[in-house]
Amino acid sequence: MSRQPENIDRNRIADLVVLLVLASIVVLYCIDAMRASTDVLNLILVLPVTAIVLVLCLLQFFLDVQKLRQVGQPGEPPSAVLPVAGLFAAYVLSLPWLGFDLGTFLFLGAFLWVHGERRWSWLLGYSISFAFVLSMFFSMMLPYPMPMRILHMASG
Amino acid sequence: MIDAAALAAAIEMLFSSASPWLIVIPGILLGLVFGAIPGLQISTAMAIFLPMTLYMDFMQAMLFLTAIFTGGGFGGSIPAILMNIPGTSSAIATAFDGYPMSRQGQHNIALGLALGASCIGVIVGYTILFLLISPISAIVLRIGPAEMTVVILWGITLIGSLSSGSLLKGIISGLFGLLIGTIGYSEAGVTRGTFGSSYLLDGVAVIPAMIGMFAAAELFRLVKTQYLIEDSAARRVSVRLILAGFRQAIAHPWIVLRGSLIGVFVGSVPGVGSSVANLLSYMVTKRSAADPDSFGKGNPSGVVASEAANSTSEAGSMATLLALGIPGGGATAVMLAAFAMHNITGGPQFIREETDVVYAIIIANFGQAVLLIGLGLLLIPLLANVIKVPMTYLVPSVLAIAVFGAFGLTGDLSGPVTVLVFAILGWIFKRYDYSVPAAVIGILLGGMAEDSVIYSYQISGGQWSYLLQRPMALVILALLAASLFGTRLVDALTRRIRD
Repeated sequence: MSRQPENIDRNRIADLVVLLVLASIVVLYCIDAMRASTDVLNLILVLPVTAIVLVLCLLQFFLDVQKLRQVGQPGEPPSAVLPVAGLFAAYVLSLPWLGFDLGTFLFLGAFLWVHGERRWSWLLGYSISFAFVLSMFFSMMLPYPMPMRILHMASG
Repeated sequence: MIDAAALAAAIEMLFSSASPWLIVIPGILLGLVFGAIPGLQISTAMAIFLPMTLYMDFMQAMLFLTAIFTGGGFGGSIPAILMNIPGTSSAIATAFDGYPMSRQGQHNIALGLALGASCIGVIVGYTILFLLISPISAIVLRIGPAEMTVVILWGITLIGSLSSGSLLKGIISGLFGLLIGTIGYSEAGVTRGTFGSSYLLDGVAVIPAMIGMFAAAELFRLVKTQYLIEDSAARRVSVRLILAGFRQAIAHPWIVLRGSLIGVFVGSVPGVGSSVANLLSYMVTKRSAADPDSFGKGNPSGVVASEAANSTSEAGSMATLLALGIPGGGATAVMLAAFAMHNITGGPQFIREETDVVYAIIIANFGQAVLLIGLGLLLIPLLANVIKVPMTYLVPSVLAIAVFGAFGLTGDLSGPVTVLVFAILGWIFKRYDYSVPAAVIGILLGGMAEDSVIYSYQISGGQWSYLLQRPMALVILALLAASLFGTRLVDALTRRIRD
């Protein structure tokens, strides 16, 4: 039996928000597709699938609304993954400027530092060697150039 | 029918000297390594080493390339099991149960199961190819867009069964993924959902999206744990346990055989191949299991079903290549290039006139499966040591490998950005009980589904009655209905008989 709190459970509201965001993305995509062309070939799959998704979202919405006052399973809070996700986003988005070699070294170093590694020999040694080996391996294996900062300068 | 003279000539060709086998071992090792590194596809390995085959005769070239193919087929399962990163799209379903097994400290068993199912799968697949190469090629020629549409419909209706949480959310996830899979240029010559980005013109990069949703999202969650396997005693790598897993795979002959049959036939359909075969085999095994709820939580049968199908689909794609001269995917396209480099054209004439070569390729693959056992047992203990690395080091290292691999797949920064975007999406999906596997399958099948529906529409002129003229499509529809309602129908009938 689920407890009936006076206030609406936050997790349930978050469930509804995610559902609405997914439905909105689907609708926006369908509108974009219709704006691009109303040709049958363009909409033959997108339109019926969008319609089905919206019907299913509506059903799920009613199910979720019914449970609004029940206490949901407390999930992992976004704050738990925010530091890692933020660091990863910074790494990926800075690659065009930092290059894969320097970017990877800084990402590894920063990650280890944030997660408690204070031994400088390990911090620098691992970050430098891993970034170097990975960058060298992939730049040799791939048939197209990779953005590099230090290895690029080293190779002239 | 088997041509005894050609068979004798094939055996003579393979075993008169050791030279054809000398290049098989490095081929398998290359395949294992490339398959085990996310982002480095088997086809990439084959393309990189294709120029080397210029210095080999045709037989050696084929042995070398199929050895990479065989090694890579299994290699992709190693990161799928240990890190939830399918090294290739053909190992998606392996991660469903392989990774939970690893988290429970059963990584040795899971790796052994994957190796066993892969090796047996290769042998079963090539045996089917040996016996049925002509009928298979005849069936492949009959598969049109209508059949493909129904196969995809089958896959999508089964998506719901993959969802461990809400069925509705499972289907929403699958269809959401399906729509993402259609982003980019459409058949009408217009672009959709690109937000003006030229990177999305060809659509969302499927494998980086898969790496993001499966692996990066999981790594975000794992950062608070100390090791991949919390129990230090369970962290050891044991060849004895890997062998025990290998034996367990043999103890699932029906799952291996069913997976192999799915692998051969789905693998032989150009453009579909192992990426769909492993999912289909997994879903059918889950549906027919007595304990379907245990799938996705570390059920060994899930690993066996997936690996048996993806390794066997190699034989299926070889059937299409040899019998029709049509490459089923990237790896067989490279092989077709090797055919051209040696002035050989695949097709019915090739099978008729060079039967001994075809038989030699098939027999060589039996040998490769045996060699894969030895090489796999040597390499797995080395690669499995990844579980002993503290998460503080493992998480950023794997994320970095994923970023490099994604760049390797797309050739530009859209790959790494795709990993990032889908990692966040994957975390949201997991957090709010949407099905990540269903979404990934949707993304994988989206483009293919749209093409098949369009071609069916064009051929039929929009008439539904066209479907009635396609017996194979009707058979697949019947299978779809049986897979959806069969078990319930049997249960209902059994209850009625008992009452």
